[in-house]
Parts: sequence; structure tokens; C-alpha cells
Amino acid sequence: MAADRPRFFELRVAPPSLIAKLLGLATVAALIGLWWVVTSGPTPEQRLVSPVILPSPVEVATSIDALWRERALAASVAATLRRVLVGFGLAVIFAVPLGVLAGSWRVFDAAAAPIALFGRNVPVAALIPLTVLWFGIEETQKVMFIFIACAPFIYSDSVRAIVSLPDRYVETAQTLGATPTQIVSKVLVPLAMPDIYKSLRGLFGMAFGYIMLAELINAEHGLGFLLSTSQRRGLSEHIILILMVIALLAFLIDRFLLWLQHGLFPYRRDAE
Amino acid sequence: MSASSQGGGETPIVEFRSVGKVFEQGSKTTKVIDDVSFGVANRPGHGELITILGPSGCGKSTILRLIAGLRPHFPPTSGSIHVSGQAVEGPGRDRGMVFQDYTSFDNRTVEDNIGFGLECEGVSASERSERARSWIAKVGLDVDKDAHKFPHQLSGGMRQRVAIARTLILRPRIILMDEPFGALDPNTRLNMQDQLVNLWRGEEATVFFVTHSVEEAVYLGDRVYVLSPSPGRLYREIPVPAPSRPAREMQREPAFNETVFEIRDIIDKLESMSDSDG
Repeated sequence: MAADRPRFFELRVAPPSLIAKLLGLATVAALIGLWWVVTSGPTPEQRLVSPVILPSPVEVATSIDALWRERALAASVAATLRRVLVGFGLAVIFAVPLGVLAGSWRVFDAAAAPIALFGRNVPVAALIPLTVLWFGIEETQKVMFIFIACAPFIYSDSVRAIVSLPDRYVETAQTLGATPTQIVSKVLVPLAMPDIYKSLRGLFGMAFGYIMLAELINAEHGLGFLLSTSQRRGLSEHIILILMVIALLAFLIDRFLLWLQHGLFPYRRDAE
Repeated sequence: MSASSQGGGETPIVEFRSVGKVFEQGSKTTKVIDDVSFGVANRPGHGELITILGPSGCGKSTILRLIAGLRPHFPPTSGSIHVSGQAVEGPGRDRGMVFQDYTSFDNRTVEDNIGFGLECEGVSASERSERARSWIAKVGLDVDKDAHKFPHQLSGGMRQRVAIARTLILRPRIILMDEPFGALDPNTRLNMQDQLVNLWRGEEATVFFVTHSVEEAVYLGDRVYVLSPSPGRLYREIPVPAPSRPAREMQREPAFNETVFEIRDIIDKLESMSDSDG
């Protein structure tokens, strides 16, 4: 009889969590090793890949100081986060109630559907010229760009969250004497909230990606702005650092939102 | 065949007058029930428990949902439905309903689930809590341990207890139960049957109880309605002895089993009839 050792290639079976983490780490280590190999050499000319294209790990690490001090990384992180938070926050305040309304009384959804469909299918980059025309090139434009890019998705996801709740809940509430408005406020909204929140978590990640686009134009600070100026000045080590900072920020934000999710909806087991 | 109303000239609590329901989907029409007529006498201080049996697809749930006033089964295509002499116009708290699935509001604790109807009515929080707690005990849950649990921490049987308490706390004249114990394991099911019998004795409600289990129908019912399939019609109305002993005892007795076999034969016959119809 086979011993109880972990089986790695069983269909759809996740490896033990420690092993999974080690495997992930191994991939990262291998990549850094590869990076180190192709960028090492006594002189820049003898490297496999030129330092203009890919600086070495050590060069990237030592440029942190310059990025932090001279180029004010913290101010850029703050500027980017502020724009996303304000734009996304406005979109939530605007689109979630509308979505709840339209999901509960679907005549409203029928009326709004063409706009939402249009909004979800316009390529985000195409929104930039329009938002520049409407809101100028200052902060308002960046916030409104995020707002316009996210609101249709938030709206549609909120509608779907309400609509996909089983009718049984509504029927139960009706036979317990609840009025339509009570059913919306006491049954549909609380039951749909975990779903809506989950989709907001995903959309926030998307918004965080979109803001980089808006920051390519006339931004003072901002991670997108830092990226484009690094490219113009040929600071490839900064570009790599900024990408790492973006990934780290996105990860931390998602973990924070997940932690909040557990606190907000203790009655949901399936919180991943 | 239609059942007649019993008991002196009073207005029946529930009355179906040649009720039919046809669903139309595109060009396809399905007749779910046809010409169903019955009356259940209003007997103040003593409700009746009517169980509804029949082959699947005979419109058992349709009848419950028509009484409850729930779409899309309500309104009927033909005929009329009266509750205490009033035509049914839509769902209301005078007709409580317990379903088989999704029976709890997941975001509410046991106590708040049970107090839901009172909350909608505007009853104060303290009174709500007090009454909900007394019902937690009545349906056999532990007030201290269970009151603040969320539904996902409860077993299927406990959730059905919560659903029953949530309905009974409003003291509805009519209680509609759509296979409430259908998803429970046999043991829990027997316990729930006993519990229901005990609770129901304390209420003055008329209960309509749809089930697939002939034993359950014969045990719980004062009368068993047997429906014939496609389209559903009220085929037989069989009076059975009221549950006077615990489910485990009574369901083992020869007399009980005789009734069960008899009804099962009727249903088998109905099923084979509908099969030969195609």
C-alpha cells in the first residue's frame, strides 16, 4: 500500500499550503537568478542583456534611495491612491444605490441598460480625450476618469447581485407581511451586500490599473507620472522598482479589503 | 371529484371554486391544475391539518402558492380562491409559508430571523427580542446558545425550526408548508414531525402541508388530499386519525401502515395512468 505522501499531480487537488508557498518562492528565486545571470558581467558590454534594457538586481536595489528621495515616491503613491479612492468612492456612492434600485424594480434597469452596456464596452483609454475636454487636465479630470470608467461596472454588478438572489427570500418576506420597500431594505440589500462588496474589491483593482493611464497626461506626482518620466529619462531601474511598488500596493489593498470583508459579513463562510 | 365543505353554514377558511391554472410559454401551454374545488371549514379554536399528496408534477405546490398569493402561480387562470370569504389578492401575513429551501435570512441571527415579521410590523426591539426568544424555546432550540447564531452555523433541521418559529410568531390563520422536511434526514424528520404536532396543537391555525412522504401525510394530517396528475385535480379526500402518539410509535402500528399502503396504491395507480397518457 502506498504511504500517505502528498500527491502532486492529482487532478484539481491543491498542494499542501507550505509546499504551495515554497513553490511560489522558488519561481521568484529562479526568475531573480535568471535576471542576475543575464545582467552580470565585468563590464556593461560583456553582459548578455544591455543595462539600458535591463539593469541588474543590484542596480535596481541601490536606486531605491534616489527614487524615494529625489523623485518623491511617497508623494506619488499618495497622489495615485487619493485619485483612485475619490473617483472610485464617488462611483460607489452613485452606482450602488442605482444598481439596487434597478435590480429591485427592473423597469429602471430596462431603461438604464443601454447606457450601462455602452459604458462597459467603451475602451477606457478612449475616455481620456473626452474627460480632458470636459474636465480639463487637472485633478478633476483624473478623478472623473476613474468615476466614469468604474460606475457602469459597479452599477451592473449591483443589479446582478440583487437579481440573482433566489425568489424564495422575497416570497418568504412577503408571507411574513413585509412591504416592497421593507423587502428591499431588510432582505435584498443585506443579502446582496457580500456579493456587491466582492465585486467592488475586484473593480477597485481594475481602477488602480486605470489610473496609471490618466496619470500619463499632465500629472503632478502619481505612479503613472513617475513611470512615464522614468521612461523619458531612460531610468529603467526606476521603472522596474515602480512596477514592484504597484504590485505590492495592489496586493496590500486587496488583503486589507478582504480583511474588512470578514469583519463586515461575519455570516458568510465562503469568503475565500 | 371535488370535496365538499364540512361543518355548518359558516364561511370556509379556504375555498377553491373550480380553480384552474394554465402557463403559457410561447406557443406551448401547460395546464398545471384544472377544476380544483374544495372548502375547508372554519373551526374556531381548532384548526385542521390538511396534507397534500400526489405524483410529482400534479400541482401540489401550485395549490399552496395560490393560497399564498405568490406569482407566477397566482392569479389563477380560471375560478376563484377565497380565504375567510375574501378573494385572495396577493401575499399577506395572515397566510404564513414555510419552504423547503433557503429558509433563513443569512444576515440575521436566529433571534432576528424569528423577529423579522414583528420588525416589519414596527414592534419595538425589546418586545421583539422577548417574543422571539420565547419562540426559540418553543421550537426546541436553546435560547442562550442559539439566539445569536447565524444560519450558516445551524443544521438543516435547526433552520427549519427557525423558519417555523418565524411563521408561527405572527399567529397566522393559515400556515402553508411546502415540503418543509423534504431535505432532512429520516431521524430529524421524525423529530420535526413530533415538534410540529406539538406546536400546532397550541395554535388555532389551518395548516396545508405538501409532502412526498405518504407516512408523513398520514401521520400529520387530519385529512389527506390526493391529487391526480397532469393536469392536477383533487382526486380523493381521505380522513385519517389525528396524530395522538409520537411519530416513531404511531408509524409502526399495523392500522397506520394499512392506511399508508392504501394511499400508496392510489398514487401508484394515478402515476401509471398518467404514464400511459404519454
